[in-house]
Amino acid sequence: MSENNIHDCSMLILLLPLLGAVVAIVLRQFRLGDHSHWPVIFGVGGAAFFALNILWMVLGAEVGQRSVQSVIYTWISTGAASSWFNFEFLVDPLSAMMLVTVTFVSTLVVIYARDYMRHDDHPERGYERFFAFLALFVFSMCTLVLAGNFLLLYMGWELVGLCSYLLIGFYYNKPSAAAAAKKAFLVNRIGDFGFGLGILLIYWTFGCLDYASVFHMIEEGVAAGGQALPEGRLAMIALLLLCGAVGKSAQLPLYVWLPDAMEGPTPVSALIHAATMVTAGVYMVARCGAIFTASPAVMTVVAIIGAATALFAATIALVQNDMKRVLAYSTVSQLGYMFLGLGVYAAGSAVFHLFTHAFFKALLFLSAGSVMHAMGGIIDMRKFGGLRKVLPWTYRFCLLGALALAGFPFFSGFFSKDEIIHHAFNQNFWLGMVGSVTAVMTAFYTFRMIFMTFHGPERIPEGVHAHESGKWILFPLGVLSIGAVFAGLVQVPGEKVNHFLEPAIHQFHAAHGLLLGAAGHAVAHGFWAEYGLMIISGGLAILAIGVAYLLHVRWEWLPGLLADVAPKTHRVLYNKYYVDEAYDAAVVKPLRKSGRICFGIDQYFVDGLVFMVTAVPRLLGAMLRSLQGGAMQSYGLTMVTGLAIIVLLVLLA
Amino acid sequence: MTLQAYISALAPEIVLVIGACITLMMGVAKSSSIRAMIAPCALAALVLSLASAAIVGIVTNAPPGLRVTQLSQYVRMIALGVGALVLLVNWHLPRDGERGEFFSMILFTLCGVCLTSVANDLVLLFFALELVSVPTYVLVALSRDDSRASEATVKYFFLGALSAALMAYGFSFLYGCAGSTTLIGPNGTGIVGYFLANQSVGSFAVLGLLISFVGLFFKIAAVPFHVYAPDVYEGAASPVTGLLGFLPKLAGFVAIIQIMDACNWHLPASISWMFWFVAAATMTVGNVLALLQTNVKRILAYSSISHTGYMMIGLLVGPGAGGGPMRDGVAAMLFYIGVYGLMNLGIFAVISTLAVKDEPLEELADLSGLSRRHPGAAAALAICAFSLMGFPPTAGFLGKVYIFSSAFSLPASHEFAQPLVVLAVIGVLNSAIGAVYYLRIASACYVGDDAPSTERIGGSPLRVAAIVCSAAMLILFIWPAGLVHRAGRATAEMMMHQQQTRSVELVRHEDVGLKAESRQIKTPAAE
Repeated sequence: MSENNIHDCSMLILLLPLLGAVVAIVLRQFRLGDHSHWPVIFGVGGAAFFALNILWMVLGAEVGQRSVQSVIYTWISTGAASSWFNFEFLVDPLSAMMLVTVTFVSTLVVIYARDYMRHDDHPERGYERFFAFLALFVFSMCTLVLAGNFLLLYMGWELVGLCSYLLIGFYYNKPSAAAAAKKAFLVNRIGDFGFGLGILLIYWTFGCLDYASVFHMIEEGVAAGGQALPEGRLAMIALLLLCGAVGKSAQLPLYVWLPDAMEGPTPVSALIHAATMVTAGVYMVARCGAIFTASPAVMTVVAIIGAATALFAATIALVQNDMKRVLAYSTVSQLGYMFLGLGVYAAGSAVFHLFTHAFFKALLFLSAGSVMHAMGGIIDMRKFGGLRKVLPWTYRFCLLGALALAGFPFFSGFFSKDEIIHHAFNQNFWLGMVGSVTAVMTAFYTFRMIFMTFHGPERIPEGVHAHESGKWILFPLGVLSIGAVFAGLVQVPGEKVNHFLEPAIHQFHAAHGLLLGAAGHAVAHGFWAEYGLMIISGGLAILAIGVAYLLHVRWEWLPGLLADVAPKTHRVLYNKYYVDEAYDAAVVKPLRKSGRICFGIDQYFVDGLVFMVTAVPRLLGAMLRSLQGGAMQSYGLTMVTGLAIIVLLVLLA
Repeated sequence: MTLQAYISALAPEIVLVIGACITLMMGVAKSSSIRAMIAPCALAALVLSLASAAIVGIVTNAPPGLRVTQLSQYVRMIALGVGALVLLVNWHLPRDGERGEFFSMILFTLCGVCLTSVANDLVLLFFALELVSVPTYVLVALSRDDSRASEATVKYFFLGALSAALMAYGFSFLYGCAGSTTLIGPNGTGIVGYFLANQSVGSFAVLGLLISFVGLFFKIAAVPFHVYAPDVYEGAASPVTGLLGFLPKLAGFVAIIQIMDACNWHLPASISWMFWFVAAATMTVGNVLALLQTNVKRILAYSSISHTGYMMIGLLVGPGAGGGPMRDGVAAMLFYIGVYGLMNLGIFAVISTLAVKDEPLEELADLSGLSRRHPGAAAALAICAFSLMGFPPTAGFLGKVYIFSSAFSLPASHEFAQPLVVLAVIGVLNSAIGAVYYLRIASACYVGDDAPSTERIGGSPLRVAAIVCSAAMLILFIWPAGLVHRAGRATAEMMMHQQQTRSVELVRHEDVGLKAESRQIKTPAAE
């Protein structure tokens, strides 16, 4: 694998979207804002091309040489003679796979947004701003993925957070959007605080920040200066890093920002809050396998957080009526699966699920957007129904996405989710059970959404001219649905993804004591152990879809009755376990109160103090000012006096 | 020495002088189409000069009186690079009848700056510094057609003459001591030889250094020789002020570096202490007085004084080869002055694009609410203000980090290690004070009420310069290495020639006492 080619490709992957963003903004200056999707499509599409190129090169290389760390340039000197922070990239199977996922889905979403952000062929207000931000996001996300050290990772991490903030608040004069943007930013801040501390602790412990050196030192078990690693230090670092991952990937207890983030335009929800950015936490944990696997307790925490989040979010999704919210909670739940996978040492399966999820969840969100576009901005599923005649293509694509999400046999989601559940069962029976129960719920709520939206009698909100979307919207849906159906084939049969990712995530397997290839699962466990679970999960998914059909198409009176039978449960679920309210009472309100107290102290005490402190320079200034009278003679005098004083002092000293 | 040797050593300067003469003659042309070509012609001369500097590169066997070093290359690069932006900022400033003089004066000034960096002789150094100063007097006078500009010119000229006289006086003392006007001659001759041969120099030499430095303090606007700066900066038109804040300062700092280099960076303790106090006073006075101003240009004048103070820290630390700018005060200072030139010019460029009732913008109050009417101008202004403040993600942040942390790099055994740490602390405190008035500028743009009478003026060259300067602040934060490595090369060369001359001296005088140097010399690392 030629290092120069990798170097050039990775630079282009970063620069093309950035250039696209700049050109999109500049076009506005020339009153060509209408066309600002073109530079972004070319920029992001170009990045996708070079990402594929990188993947191709990585695939073509010898297995032992698939990891290339290339220094672009030295960035900041840290003082010690040889120690510079570098702008460096790490290209290995993991980052190559992430890059392809990110840039590919981004390209499709940008194409989709060209029509979505227009109404009757008139671009929305802020059209070019939207595309510039999207391109900036792709740039940031690729920085995050390509980063070869923790500093650059942190930079990308914060940049994607910024882009997410800007895009959630895209309709900034809508109060709910502004509030959602603020919430996302603040909740992420909590996680990022821990993440930042974790990186500082890494630097403090190892004296460097680049992946290669840090992971090498961990393998050797030494800290900076050749000293032994302090006991429990790695676990502490892992927990702090996990804080950041929990915030960014919307896990319990910091998931609350993600459902609200749906206030942003739908392409943003699809790209940033489903397919790519929220998976950054999963990517980071997989990347830092050396740190996480050093402590089994931390791995257990990861697994439990993942399993709990998966179940918790799935139960909420059961009763939501907003199409995008169902999908948002489903995203939280699926991210929970990925964490569960990481926690049970199946990083390959987690990344595989990330990969398939990016396709089908982006597909579902974009279909929801297509419905929303047709319904004139209405997304409440109670207000419409039976749309499969009105939106025939959207219906077909959405159905494919739903089948993948529900884990319908032989769709992509089926393989990836099943693998995680399989590994969870191997690790611990209860973790596996939670995974299976969640899978059933997933199938149910997904098809509840499909049936409520597309089946039953046709209902369209009044005054809405419903119409199928144009080719700019349907083309990305079509491509994504191919991915949603067939993405599973990259792994099955033969665990190709796991083998491919092995160089990047081998710590997980080493730590778990199961090395790939030593004993194939089918051989080791026999037919039933291997396929039994698959058959059961597939059967359960079909069953759940059937139940959803009965409940929402045949016996439409039944859900209402169920809600009446168990009103409390329904209310608790519908109100999302009152978590937002609880946070509000437990965290936000006390913080506000203490903020007010602090403000009082600041205004009367600190300000007074500051005023006194600043009075010194001002007094000094007022005194010195008299020297600055404006008369040239006095200036000359000042200079000559100054010289005289200096000469006297120096010669007498 | 052949003519060819002179040409190759002075190619960039020669191109500038030829360009200046041509623009001067174009100014008196009858045809207005020729006069319209003056500014492009000046820019072309500048670009050619930069190209010739790049082509010729380092000249190892320069004729006597000249030394073309990595330092010269660095100074030529930033002077001509920022100089090109200075031309753009001043593009439309001069009146039609004065364009020839105006642009030729800018080229002469730039030539003086470049010449300062290649001068290896006190006489040539003096000449070069005057070549910087005299055209700037003319520029101030030409920049505006009112009494304030005339007043500023008179003050600037007379006080400048005073400082030039002091400098010449100091130089004559140095000549008297060393018996040579050459700074660094071959095989340890020249002034450097004098300082090498005498471990503790007499008070005559100390006085010589002292008075020379004092004369140069005027150029860099250090306290108490800064008094002219606020009045002159205010009196000149903003585009010219952007030039005044940078080019004379750069020339002054380069001259100080040249002289310190000739002293082998081993100053008498009393001179070091003098630098210490002047640096501390410069930072403090600049920042404190800036707090009281309401006129943007006066604020920036005082800000420019305070930046001189920060950069003097780097001079006191001296070069430390191979350690990167955090271990190398001079490299940190060279990086800082390049960044300073861009951010200073950037802020003046933005101000030059704004006017109130057809009068150039002067008062802070007129910036109020700028972001709502002219978001681009406000953003550029804010970026430059944040950079001057030293706030990430701008290059000004890196500049301050490098300068202040270099102050911590001297070995604890060094006699000046402790005072330098104190000076760095004073510097950090001062940048906190400075944040107040920079934030005042930025916040006026973004949170102030509307001052609707402010409008945009100026042509596209001016805007391009403002955009380039503010974009450079962000780019140099992400990619400082280009500038940092060049600065590091310049100081590495200083260390190298120090060792060479020292070893020559050692052989000649068999003076083993020199080994007991208090300053540790590290071997320069290969770039």
